[in-house]
Amino acid sequence: MSFLAPIWLALTAAVAVPLFLHLLRRRIEIRREFPAARYLLRAEKENVRRLKLRNLLLMMLRTLTLLFLALAAARPIGALLGSGHVPTALAVVVDNTMSTGAIVDGTPLLSRLKNAARTVVQGATGNDQAWLVTADGVVTGGARDVVLDAIDRIEPLGGRADLSSAITHAAGLVLAADLSTSTVVLLTDAQSSQWPGDVNLGDVRVVAHAPTGTAPFNRAVTMAEPQPPRWSPKGSVLVGASGADSVTYRVTLDGRTAARGLLRGSDEQVVRLEPGERGWIAGAVDLAPDELRGDDERHFAVWVGDAPAVNVLPAAGPFVREAFDALVQSALVTRGSAVEVASVDEATKLPALLLAPNDPVRLGAANRSLERLGIPWRLGDVRRDETIARGADVEGTPVRLRFPLRPAGGAAVASDTLATASGEPWIVAGPDYVLVASPMSAEATSLPITAPFLPWLSNLLSQRLTREGSGLVRADPGTPIRLPPGVTGFEGDSQVYPVGATATAPSRAGVFFLRRGEERVGALVVNPEREESRLDRLSTNEFKARLHARDVFVATDPSDVAQRAYDASAQRPLQALLLLLALGCLISEMIVVRRAEPRGLRRVAPSLGS
Amino acid sequence: MPVAAPTRADLIDPASLASLGRIEIIARWVVDGFLSGLHRSPKKGFSVEFAEFRPYQPGDDLRFIDWRVVARADKWMVKQFEEETNTRAAIVLDVSRSMDWSGSPERLTKLRYAEQVVAAIALLLIRQRDAVGLVRYDDRLRTVLPARARSIQWRRIVHAIEHDPGAGTDSRMAEGIQQGAKLIRRPGIVVVISDLLVDADQMEQALRVARAAGHQVTVLHIMDPAEMELDTRGEAIFYDPEGTLEVTATVSDVRQAYAKTVKHAIEEWRLRLAALGAGYEVIRTDSPFGVPLRKAFATRQRLP
Repeated sequence: MSFLAPIWLALTAAVAVPLFLHLLRRRIEIRREFPAARYLLRAEKENVRRLKLRNLLLMMLRTLTLLFLALAAARPIGALLGSGHVPTALAVVVDNTMSTGAIVDGTPLLSRLKNAARTVVQGATGNDQAWLVTADGVVTGGARDVVLDAIDRIEPLGGRADLSSAITHAAGLVLAADLSTSTVVLLTDAQSSQWPGDVNLGDVRVVAHAPTGTAPFNRAVTMAEPQPPRWSPKGSVLVGASGADSVTYRVTLDGRTAARGLLRGSDEQVVRLEPGERGWIAGAVDLAPDELRGDDERHFAVWVGDAPAVNVLPAAGPFVREAFDALVQSALVTRGSAVEVASVDEATKLPALLLAPNDPVRLGAANRSLERLGIPWRLGDVRRDETIARGADVEGTPVRLRFPLRPAGGAAVASDTLATASGEPWIVAGPDYVLVASPMSAEATSLPITAPFLPWLSNLLSQRLTREGSGLVRADPGTPIRLPPGVTGFEGDSQVYPVGATATAPSRAGVFFLRRGEERVGALVVNPEREESRLDRLSTNEFKARLHARDVFVATDPSDVAQRAYDASAQRPLQALLLLLALGCLISEMIVVRRAEPRGLRRVAPSLGS
Repeated sequence: MPVAAPTRADLIDPASLASLGRIEIIARWVVDGFLSGLHRSPKKGFSVEFAEFRPYQPGDDLRFIDWRVVARADKWMVKQFEEETNTRAAIVLDVSRSMDWSGSPERLTKLRYAEQVVAAIALLLIRQRDAVGLVRYDDRLRTVLPARARSIQWRRIVHAIEHDPGAGTDSRMAEGIQQGAKLIRRPGIVVVISDLLVDADQMEQALRVARAAGHQVTVLHIMDPAEMELDTRGEAIFYDPEGTLEVTATVSDVRQAYAKTVKHAIEEWRLRLAALGAGYEVIRTDSPFGVPLRKAFATRQRLP
């Protein structure tokens, strides 16, 4: 037996009072004249034995009453007939990340974890407080039946979530409950990728279950990347899978099989496709099912449209025109007026690829044109120092003539800097425009005469300067996402979920089209984290070492968890019992006393011996 | 059902009644109330012994006019004769210190109650034309009034009660009883009124003598309710006012045993006196005066 408030044990000294009073030969100073004293003497002589017994009984009852009260004040807890436990704040954390969906010995691992959680919660009493915390941080508390119902409804997540945060949150819950014992029960598959570092949980007990043995073999789709992001209308999908063995795969577009193939080992393959549909299309790459179904499919989304219609103005230069002709011949662009490629000083509209003028004399006209088009950049005085460009697609390209870009009015400019030269912006992009600070001539830069020039130009025209297909968002399951402006919701499960500017990605994998009113303006692609497919586990010792708490117990058998969850507290508060005993003693004392007190005398005590 | 308050003085609460006047007034009320509740006695007294003169009143029998007085003093006087008494009675009253005690200020002391009973019994007997004598004792004989049937006898008795308080620290009951038995020459009534806190054997011996003389003996055992039930609480030293006995007791501890002891003592008295052929009644001081009066009168009625 232990005490939660041992300072009150000092009250046990009070038991000395009735003992002292019993042993004390009191000095009685009240004298009463009583003619029939001889009868009183005779009564005392005849009842002395009974009186001594009665006084002894009263002394014992009073002593016990004080003893029980003092012990009750000290809030004792102890085992009583081997049942019950102290009030416990209990948070059961169930790891329902994607990896726990793996089938082990014919049963999903998550089902075993749920059964263990159910057994633990069923052991809770009315004095306990229980919560269920899942890996995505969702907390369910309240009555035991509510928590049990929530356990039944646990489904595996589409990704790895943040189990460490969930456990930390659970520890905070039980500590805030201010009950006698704070216990966190952790039911997990001990996936090593989930535990990159230590978790400090503070002053709580941790009872965890981590399975032992070899993790099941798992193969996953690791790559399903549309290239380019916008198809016009041709495109390709880069496909990859984990595992050393060959595996067949399938590429689907809008649920229809578009291609099949065989992957060898961890190779990647490019699957070229030309869908007939236009607009946003959901696609997926899937493998034959294995023990973990969650990562046997990987989703992608692509915008499919016609090739952009481009008008190249004369001042753009011969290199640009030649390249444009080549792109037209490849059907990557068409001749038209949707996108303009022009020298800045002669540009008339957006979207446009804007090139610096060949003649520095046209600098003023160029800046006026930028102002007219609403572009927040201005060209500075010409510089003819040779420098090297830094940036994707143009890395290492020599630049010999350039007009340094300055923000209009000196204000910060909200645009992408695609490349720099001498640390200054060289190629910048904004909505509907790409601005290059040099003309596309061999004297100004080597870019038009290098091999990457054609794909660079093609990418700008078909991807960057095309208004459609810009709303692609990729996210991990259950993570915060930032949606493009104007998005009002996303489609999923045949219904539209309204969202704001920021939202949380669904916890399951899939493609969710972004909606602006009735219009599809993008797609949210949710795929599991690749590391979640690695099912290798920590050993029991490694897992235990990751957890830092007051007391950590790791059980390899789930049935041990329910027992150990209350093991250290397999005691119950004895306060109520002691109070009942004290009350019983008081009642007994009153009965013993009142048996000698006729009813009428309890109210009136007349004086004797007048 | 509401019960009407008693209107007869013999049925009224003794303490309330005693507060209304002097002892002789109270005694008259009690006896009047008592007699009004009885059938008139069929026994008629007769007298041949001259008692006193009184002025003639119209309607008086001319045979009882004392003509010698008329001739000598020219006053019309009528001779009255004392009737021959039916019975002679002696009342033996304990006036020791233990009797002068009450368990509550709302009750009469045992002595006060007993004196009132004595006055009432005496008046009742005198009205019955019985001769009544009185013996009062504590540690000595304080009053010895020979039995007489004259109305002045009652005044003597009342006077003795009122002007000679007792409160001695001993009860010489045997002596009192013997003296009482001597007061009446032929078999009569001896009424002993005491709290019986005396030596039982000595008292028994005295009563045996009285019974041997042919007297009808009735003992009225006066007890305060507090003596019967120990109706107090707490703990104290209880001391006997007539001796050195002191008992330290916690009332709640001994209450039941005490009540049982008193009950047992009363039973002992009842058996002991019954064996002597003496009457025995326990009279509580909160009983109306009619109760002891009825007990004493019952004894008188048993005599021829």
